[in-house]
Amino acid sequence: MTSQTTIQKRQATTTRWLLLPGIIWMSLFLVVPILMIVYVSFWTQTTFNISPDPTLASWKQFFSSDTYTGSLWTTIRIWLIVLACTFIVGYPTALFVGLFVKSQTLSTVLLVICVIPFWTSFLIRVLAWRPMLGKEGAINIVLMKLGIIQQPIEVLLFTELSVIIGMTQIYCVFMVGPIAFMLSRIDRNIIEAARDLGAGFGRIFWKIIFPLSLPGVVVGAIFVSVMVLGEFATSGALSGRKVNLLGNIIVTQVGSLKWAMASVVGVILTVVMGIVIAGFLRIVDLKREL
Amino acid sequence: MDTSVFRLDGVTKRYGDLVALDNATLEAGANEYISFLGPSGSGKTTLLRVIAGFEAPESGRVYFNGKDITNLPAHERGIGFVFQNFALFPHLTVIQNVGFGLTHGKSGLSAAEIERRSLEMIELVGLSGMEGRGVDQISGGQRQRVALARTLTMHPKLVLLDEPLGALDANLRSRMRNELRAIRERLGVTFVHVTGSETEALAMGDRIVVLDRGRIIQVGTPDEVYGAPASPEVAHFLNRFNLFDGTLSGGTFNGVFGAVPSPQAIPSDRSVYAVRYDRMQVLPVSAKVSGPSIRARFVASEYLGSSMMNFFEAEDGHVIEMEHHLSLGAAQEFEPRQDYLLTWNPDQAIVFGREASR
Repeated sequence: MTSQTTIQKRQATTTRWLLLPGIIWMSLFLVVPILMIVYVSFWTQTTFNISPDPTLASWKQFFSSDTYTGSLWTTIRIWLIVLACTFIVGYPTALFVGLFVKSQTLSTVLLVICVIPFWTSFLIRVLAWRPMLGKEGAINIVLMKLGIIQQPIEVLLFTELSVIIGMTQIYCVFMVGPIAFMLSRIDRNIIEAARDLGAGFGRIFWKIIFPLSLPGVVVGAIFVSVMVLGEFATSGALSGRKVNLLGNIIVTQVGSLKWAMASVVGVILTVVMGIVIAGFLRIVDLKREL
Repeated sequence: MDTSVFRLDGVTKRYGDLVALDNATLEAGANEYISFLGPSGSGKTTLLRVIAGFEAPESGRVYFNGKDITNLPAHERGIGFVFQNFALFPHLTVIQNVGFGLTHGKSGLSAAEIERRSLEMIELVGLSGMEGRGVDQISGGQRQRVALARTLTMHPKLVLLDEPLGALDANLRSRMRNELRAIRERLGVTFVHVTGSETEALAMGDRIVVLDRGRIIQVGTPDEVYGAPASPEVAHFLNRFNLFDGTLSGGTFNGVFGAVPSPQAIPSDRSVYAVRYDRMQVLPVSAKVSGPSIRARFVASEYLGSSMMNFFEAEDGHVIEMEHHLSLGAAQEFEPRQDYLLTWNPDQAIVFGREASR
């Protein structure tokens, strides 16, 4: 009896010590900064100065300006489109890599190939789209040489389309990875069993394969969402400053030392991300699946 | 007239250089329980998968209900398959698993009819009250029943079981054995059961098919296979025989135990002398014996409940086993590391050899 309580006590002490580094780290670099941002968003901002006198001025300014609210809606629109595109491109890829490729080695090789673009820097990956999509870029030259078009397509670069193309390419692999992982864990016998029971491919996909891969879809969607919602570099480099996401606003505001406004946008962005992640986590119980 | 449920005709299957199945020919009648017995790699699972349609044979034909089904895909064969790991749909409940084939196949039944048939089958396998549970909330034995019920709802004429009892503990295994027999008698289904366990094959099969390296080496009732193994390999898989190598010539077998007249020999490439564990007798070294005998050192004994297994080691390192049925009286006590004389009645031995009796 006493020995058991001692063991329990000792385990509780160990647990506390193991938790400590995580708690310290998360407090210093997550909780405190977020509280700080919320606090700063209520500070008083003048052209060249900022003082901690509480005011709602920056918040009012955000919601009364079409530029700011417009960028909120642009962010949400681009996020939804990119999310859909990464899913549409990523799911079939994951299906091939995770399920149809029988050899474990080949499927690993294919996944590594998906990751190869990440061996270069983020900026190079983004900027590489310029010579591809530009008016005298690779795509236009090829299409004109083939005689498919007479005039170069101008909407390819420095538009919302180029931002979507760029982001889909960059973030697609974050969708492919988790889905392929979940698909590769499906016991092949289950699929054979379903086939043996007379279910066609469509039924097997919708009733067995897709539900079992759903946790992967959710994890992939969370990865993509968090990264796209916080994006500013791709939209900056590929839209010619025409597409302003919340991330771009933060960059500009910080650049002109408008800390209060930058904090307001930061808080709004954090809230949006929180809602999105909470929403995705309601779809599946990840703790049970992983 | 073809009355068999299924028939294999010269089925051959290779994986690269490896011959998984070599010219397998077999016939099974209605309402039969057949066990495929063999060590791992003997081709027994491959044979089962060829019958199910998961693997295509290189040559040979498979007939089912009098029709050639060799080129028919698995789901059009109407053959049920119970996987070794049960392969239940992990995200569905018990009743959704059982009704899967009726719901998503080509049954065309109404939802109410599907539910009725699923519930009926769940009751048959003794899982009433568990319909709504997830398959990860039930025990291994119950999962096994769900897998069986899922197959049986499709009313197959033939059910293939891939080592169905391997994943269960000994107690559940013997219960499932009885229940499988009862279910078969109620539904009139032919079961083909793959197993690596000789006791399972002997206990369950109306007929046993013994496989070795892709070849069917014996087909017979448990009694026939046990009483008269067709080759030294069969005797070896049954795990009930002490096997001695030697030479057979002129009706005499020469082995480590001396020369024994063996007028009756079963034709075989190898000359092997087989004595059942429970036919062995143990005597003190000083005893005078007229028949064959071998000197061996007692190593250990193992209590099996109804019998006692005693292990001896011969001078050449060969382990000889002796089984004593406890119903015949208390077990003899042996001194560890002491030498004893092992003997048997030569009439009860089985002799294999190139020189067959006429």
